Amino acid sequence: MTGDVNALASGGCHIFSGCGFPAPGLQDFEWKPFFTIGSFGFTKPMLLAILAALVVIVFFWVAFRSPKLVPRGVQNIGEVALLGVRDQILRPSLGRRGDSYLPFLVSLFFFIYIMNVMELIPIFQFPVTSRIGFVWPMVFIVYFLYLFLGVKNQGAWGYLKNMIPPGVPAPIYVILVPVELLRFFIFQPFTLGVRLFGNMFAGHLLLTIFTIATWYLLSLSVGLIYAAGSFALAIFVFLLETLVTLLQAFIFTTLTATYIASSLEASH
Amino acid sequence: MKGRGDGAPAEISRKTAAAQGRAEGLNVGWTVFSYLLSGMAAYGAIGWLIGRAVHVPLLLPVGMLLGLGISIGFIIYRYGVQAAGAQPKTSAKAQRR
Repeated sequence: MTGDVNALASGGCHIFSGCGFPAPGLQDFEWKPFFTIGSFGFTKPMLLAILAALVVIVFFWVAFRSPKLVPRGVQNIGEVALLGVRDQILRPSLGRRGDSYLPFLVSLFFFIYIMNVMELIPIFQFPVTSRIGFVWPMVFIVYFLYLFLGVKNQGAWGYLKNMIPPGVPAPIYVILVPVELLRFFIFQPFTLGVRLFGNMFAGHLLLTIFTIATWYLLSLSVGLIYAAGSFALAIFVFLLETLVTLLQAFIFTTLTATYIASSLEASH
Repeated sequence: MKGRGDGAPAEISRKTAAAQGRAEGLNVGWTVFSYLLSGMAAYGAIGWLIGRAVHVPLLLPVGMLLGLGISIGFIIYRYGVQAAGAQPKTSAKAQRR
């Protein structure tokens, strides 16, 4: 984290004390490594990503290691989580034939959600997905599956042909080919990843700005009124982020389900 | 698809229909956005290449605008004309059910 923010946290930096506002920025997304192995540095976002994966693995393992017909305890919560993803994400896009993809979508949804929600948990206070390097591998996995299933179910030629919907006049095909190729291989995966990253990045930045501003403006002066306003906004952004963290995981997983559905059969 | 006479559970609950609409809306929204970007990028790149060859730099923005036009036209065709054409079929199916 930035030295300005550390100086602020340690005390004296308030309005009218001759200390400028330590505005948050890109530097708040850079972390000093906990330890290094050669040129590889193990940072806080990496630790949080591993923790998120462990939470998902351990939770579902505990919930379903010996499932009972009448669920009890953690199994109850596990079933609610599973059915939520099935009924709100999987079935609307894939129907019953897509039930075999439920483990993948559940893992994806909760992994992203836990990584996002780390932003709101004290001590962690950082959304892992606001570092785009953690988003691209998920996009690659989704896209690899998307392409693999498409080629497997429709054949390589059929899959390419079906990118352009039927009924388009032949000359228009030629015009559309470069647009479709770019959309499919570049911009669709790009928007899938950047949306998640952008929302979490912006949310964390907003939350940081209002939190730091509250502390900075806190003084026995007119700044106190502004500090109260900033604090109210920090609470508002915090509540908004509780929704955004869930919504972004939902959007990513829903789009993954619709991609899988379009790979299983030609687009209409 | 099986009809009511077959005894299959053909009725889709309102919640599932809403979730279906949401998923479809999300997909269409982001596909449209991707079309707009890719149209501009594809024809912008073609325009830039031709512009470089014939020393007319103006062909880059011209290509981008052309690509944007092609994308918008295709979006209207795919999600307007084609979807409107498919609409009565769906309602007729639903009515038969």
